[in-house]
Amino acid sequence: MRAILSPKGIIGLSLVTVFTLVAIGAPFLVPEELTTKINVLVRLKPPSIEHPFGTDQLGRELVWRVLLGAHTSLVIAVLAVALSLVIGLPLGVVSGYFGGWTDHSLMRLVDTLLSFPVLLLALTISAVLGPNLPNTILAIGIAFTPYLSRIVRGETLRVAALPYVEAARSQGASNWRIIRLHIVPNIMAPVIVQATISIAFAILAEAALSFLGLGTQPPTPSWGLMIQASRDYLDVAAWTALVPGIAVAATVLGLNMLGDVLRDVLDPTIMTER
Amino acid sequence: MSYLARRAALFALTLLLISVVTFAITHVLPGDVAMMIMGTQSNPTALAGLRESLGLNDPLIVQYGRWIGGMLSGDWGVSLRYKEPIAALIGQKVTASAMIVVLSLLIALATAIPLGVVSAVYRDRWQDTAGSGIALAGISLPDFFWGIVLILLISRGLGWLPSSGYASPTEDFWLAFRHALLPATALGLSLMAHLTRMTRSAMLEVLGQDFIRVCRAKGLGRGAVVFRHALRNAISPVVTVAGLQLGYLFGSIIVIESLFNYTGMGWLTYQALLNRDVPLIQSSVFVIAAVVMLANLVVDVLYTLIDPRVRLE
Repeated sequence: MRAILSPKGIIGLSLVTVFTLVAIGAPFLVPEELTTKINVLVRLKPPSIEHPFGTDQLGRELVWRVLLGAHTSLVIAVLAVALSLVIGLPLGVVSGYFGGWTDHSLMRLVDTLLSFPVLLLALTISAVLGPNLPNTILAIGIAFTPYLSRIVRGETLRVAALPYVEAARSQGASNWRIIRLHIVPNIMAPVIVQATISIAFAILAEAALSFLGLGTQPPTPSWGLMIQASRDYLDVAAWTALVPGIAVAATVLGLNMLGDVLRDVLDPTIMTER
Repeated sequence: MSYLARRAALFALTLLLISVVTFAITHVLPGDVAMMIMGTQSNPTALAGLRESLGLNDPLIVQYGRWIGGMLSGDWGVSLRYKEPIAALIGQKVTASAMIVVLSLLIALATAIPLGVVSAVYRDRWQDTAGSGIALAGISLPDFFWGIVLILLISRGLGWLPSSGYASPTEDFWLAFRHALLPATALGLSLMAHLTRMTRSAMLEVLGQDFIRVCRAKGLGRGAVVFRHALRNAISPVVTVAGLQLGYLFGSIIVIESLFNYTGMGWLTYQALLNRDVPLIQSSVFVIAAVVMLANLVVDVLYTLIDPRVRLE
């Protein structure tokens, strides 16, 4: 608990809370027409009282677009990480628990997938499937799976060797029962920390994919798309790049800080270091 | 030697698996290659013609065999977009990318190691807060955002370096270097951040060990303790991580090279993806994954040279 209350923990938690509230609330609070209304009379206006974050090349208010962009980011990142958990958790548990030939061949496949840079894998999958919002989730989710299943396998190996698992087995518990009651609940803490960190990476990946035009498509408000659109106006309207850029940075920074703190809390080896 | 032989065999096996995965992504995922190339609205006769000419009606295993056979014999096919042999196309681009990747690795190591050492030595003091803060910011900011900030500041603001383009180092080395510097910096920043954190924690671990106390007790100066004894013991995991992070760099070059219009492997792969140039996608994805594999292998082998304990396993 002390670690959560450290400056790092407080800043991280606040940033993540603000992001989450905005991401969940924005679609209800911001009328859609505000983000799509094109008004060429006020195009590329710098930030001012009338235009808090300035306007983009079509005269749309960046403040509304950046708020709704949080929603897009959160939905994609959370679903992508959830997808990689749904595939990676059973894969890692089976591999780590049963070992032998199953483990060997599964991990060979995982190692092969790890040779592909995550972003390359996600971009390729998205390009092959056709870039749109659901496929962006699918692409990032699949690209993350090898990492998560590696971690799940490692944790499973550690927990499966503990005496209480042997005790359960000697009492005649089935493999399924041991996995369900003893392995999965005890590997969840590190897996959840990894998932938190993965959400930060997923937000970056979504931004990169959309920036390259192979993620979410216009007119969906997305931070990566906003940065992409700003490229042609960098000389005259730097804020069109800086506003969404800072939004991505603040969110990912918050998640990373929270991830660091959670890792310190949950990892007992850190304590002996002090 | 048997260690090297085993690693080489494993490398060959993984290379084969990489080719299978690369092929699978473009052929097994729902999504028809011919339709991907021509678009969903295209004329069925033209689609059938294209399928026939690309050999898409053959069984998958035959198609895979043809592709991998071509790769092995040096015939990598022709790019649909550029109408040029793919092997030659990739050959030119790999050197351009190698230049910024190596440069960014050097930038990252040269900044991360001093920053990490300072953070560890002044643990929990302002130097540590500053160092760790820089590292956290480096991890959290997307590299293309760094790229845009660099373009705005260094290129547009100060006018020191070009913001776009590539120059061949054999023709004009200085110009090539100037073109490579900004993309390499943008690429290296997040790696620098990772390595700073690694150096810090590795240094903290070593500084807490008994032999460091012995060094201090026998009256060695602070510099000698930190650099000659602690850093030497802390550096090998950092170098390993740097090598392993090469994969990450090769993912980022796609974004960075596109942002800076730097025509290397990442740029080429991006063009292939945008233009649905399937033969070029397959070859470039395969080459990038193979380069990452090779880099990891080299790191592993180098590691056994730096740290003889590893070989005993």
